[in-house]
Amino acid sequence: MIAALLLALGLQGQPQIATEAPGIVAALTQETVEIREDFDGAELVLYGATRGLTIQDEIVVVLRGPGRDLRVMQKSRSFGIWVNSAPLEFDDVPSYYAIATSLPLETIAHPDELERSGIGLQAMLEANARAMEASWLLRASTVVDGAGETDPPAEPGEQAEPPALIRQDRVSEYLDAIARAGRRDDVFAEAQRGVEILDGGLFRATIALPPLTPVGNYVAEVYLFRGGRPIASRSASLRVEKAGIERFFFEFAHDLPVLYGLFCVLMAMIAGYIANLAFNRR
Amino acid sequence: MQIYLPIAEISVNIFLLLGLGLGVGFLSGMFGVGGGFLMTPLLIFIGVPPAVAVSTGANQIIASSTSGVFPHWKRKTLDLKMGVLLLIGGSSGSIAGVQLFALLRGMGQIDLIISLSYVGFLGIVGGLMMIESVRAIIRAANPDKSGGRRSLRKRGWIDRLPFKMRFPASGLYISVIPPVAIGFFVGTLVAIMGVAGGFIMVPAMIYMLRMPTNVVVGTSLFQILFVTALTTFLQAAQNQTVDILLALLLTVGGVIGAQFGARAGRNVKAEELRALLAALVLAVCLKMGWDLVVTPSDLFTILPRGAGEGF
Repeated sequence: MIAALLLALGLQGQPQIATEAPGIVAALTQETVEIREDFDGAELVLYGATRGLTIQDEIVVVLRGPGRDLRVMQKSRSFGIWVNSAPLEFDDVPSYYAIATSLPLETIAHPDELERSGIGLQAMLEANARAMEASWLLRASTVVDGAGETDPPAEPGEQAEPPALIRQDRVSEYLDAIARAGRRDDVFAEAQRGVEILDGGLFRATIALPPLTPVGNYVAEVYLFRGGRPIASRSASLRVEKAGIERFFFEFAHDLPVLYGLFCVLMAMIAGYIANLAFNRR
Repeated sequence: MQIYLPIAEISVNIFLLLGLGLGVGFLSGMFGVGGGFLMTPLLIFIGVPPAVAVSTGANQIIASSTSGVFPHWKRKTLDLKMGVLLLIGGSSGSIAGVQLFALLRGMGQIDLIISLSYVGFLGIVGGLMMIESVRAIIRAANPDKSGGRRSLRKRGWIDRLPFKMRFPASGLYISVIPPVAIGFFVGTLVAIMGVAGGFIMVPAMIYMLRMPTNVVVGTSLFQILFVTALTTFLQAAQNQTVDILLALLLTVGGVIGAQFGARAGRNVKAEELRALLAALVLAVCLKMGWDLVVTPSDLFTILPRGAGEGF
C-alpha cells in the first residue's frame, strides 16, 4: 500500500506534459486477480495522484472487462408459452463494467458530455448499439426487404418484424435488458462516490469484483473532470485469471478436449466401481 | 464453504452440491431410476448454465449406473445381446442429439426445447405410471375384483417386422428394429435432456418388447452406462460443457444417497413406490410447465454468441 503510494508519488514527479497542465496517474494495487477454488469475489484498490487538482475537479474510474458477443432475445407468448424471439446481436459488450466516482456521476458531467466520451454504463451501451446499427440494417434488409415500418409486437402471439426492432425505443429496451442482467450478477456496478480524494492530490478508488467476475484482460481508465469535461486520463491494465485446480481443469477441458472427455468418463466409472465395492459386496 | 466450478464458472456452496447429490441419490436408489430428470433442473435452478447442467448430469449418471450394473452382471440378470442392440441405436441417437443440441443452442432455443421435452415426456410417463399404479393399489385393496388381469403376449405390428433375432436371456424372438429404434430415441434424449432415459427405457422394454422384468433393469443400466459415457465424451470434446468438479461432488453425494434410498425402498410396497415416483415425476413436469406459461420476471434473455465460447 505504501509502495503504491510512493509509486504514485514518483510518477507524479515525472514531467509528463507541460509543467502546469493538469495530469493524472494511477496504479492498481495488483496486476492480476486469481480465481481459485475458493474465489467468492474480491476487492480491487486503485491508487492515483493528480497534478494541479482544484476544488471543482472530480475523478472518475472505469474498470472494463473483456468484451463478449451477445444475442439478446425478447420473450413473447405464442400458444400460451413464452418463447425467445426478436433477436438483436451485440458485439464486444464488456462482460464487466464498474464505475467509481468522487461525486455522483450525473453531478460531475452533463449526460451529453458522458455520451460523447462514452463514460458510464448507459453511454457505453448506447455507443455499442450505434456501432451495431449498420449490421442490423443490413441483416434486416436481407431478411425482410421493404417490409416497412411496423409497430413493435405489443400483442402476444404476434410475430416480431425485424425492421421495427431497430427503432430507438426498441433498441433502448434491449440495452436496458443488458444493463439489468449485468446488475443482477453484480458485473455492472456504479458506485456512487467509490473514489476517495486524499490529501495532496492523491486519491483512492475501491472496486468490488463479484463472485461471477469474468476471466480475461481488464482495463482501468481514470479520468480527471474539470467543469464537467474530462481534461486528463490514464489507463492501467489488470488480468483476471483462473489459478490452481480451476486453471488446470479449464485449460485441460479447452486445450485437450478429447483427452478431457475420456478423463471425465474414466473418473465417473472409477467412482461408480468404488461405490460398488463399498456397498454392493455381501 | 464456497467452491468455484471451473467450467460452469460460478461459485456454489460445496454442501449444497453434496446435499443435492445425496437427496437425488436417495430418490434414485429408492425408485431405481437415474435421477437425471431431477438433477438437471435442480442444477439449472441453482445457477449452473443449462448446457453445463445437461452435460455434467450425463457424466454423473455414468457413476451411478456403473455401481448399479455390477450386481446385475454377477447375477446374470442382464441381456447382453439386447443391451448391445439398444447401445447401437443409443450411440447413433447420442451423436445425433449432441449435434441437435449445438444447432438449437446456436438458434437460442435450447432452453425452450429442454423445458418442452421435460414437460412432454415427464407428463406422459408420469401420467401413465400414476394411472397404472393407482389401479394396482385399488386391485390390491379389493382382491375379489382382480379376475380380469390382461396378459398381452402379442406385440402386434412389432412381430411383423423383418430381421428377427433370438434373445436367449430374455426368451424372445423379435426383430432388431424396435430395440435399435428405442435405443436411438433414448440416446437423443440423453444428449438433449441430460437424463439417462431409464424412465422411458424401462417401460418401453416391458410394454413394447415384452422383456421379462428381471432382466429389464440390468439391461437398461448397461445401455445407459455406455450411452452416457459416449454423450459425456462428445459433449466434452465438442462443446466443452462437462464440469468434472461439479460431477465429482454430485457423485460423492449421489452414491451414498442411493444406498440409503435403496434400503428405504425395500420397506415400501412396489405399487405404492411406483405411485410415489409417478407423483414426483408429475411434480417436476408441472413445475417446468408452469415456468413456461407464467410471465417471466425479465422478458429479455441474454445469450452468449459464438461457438465454443463460454457456455
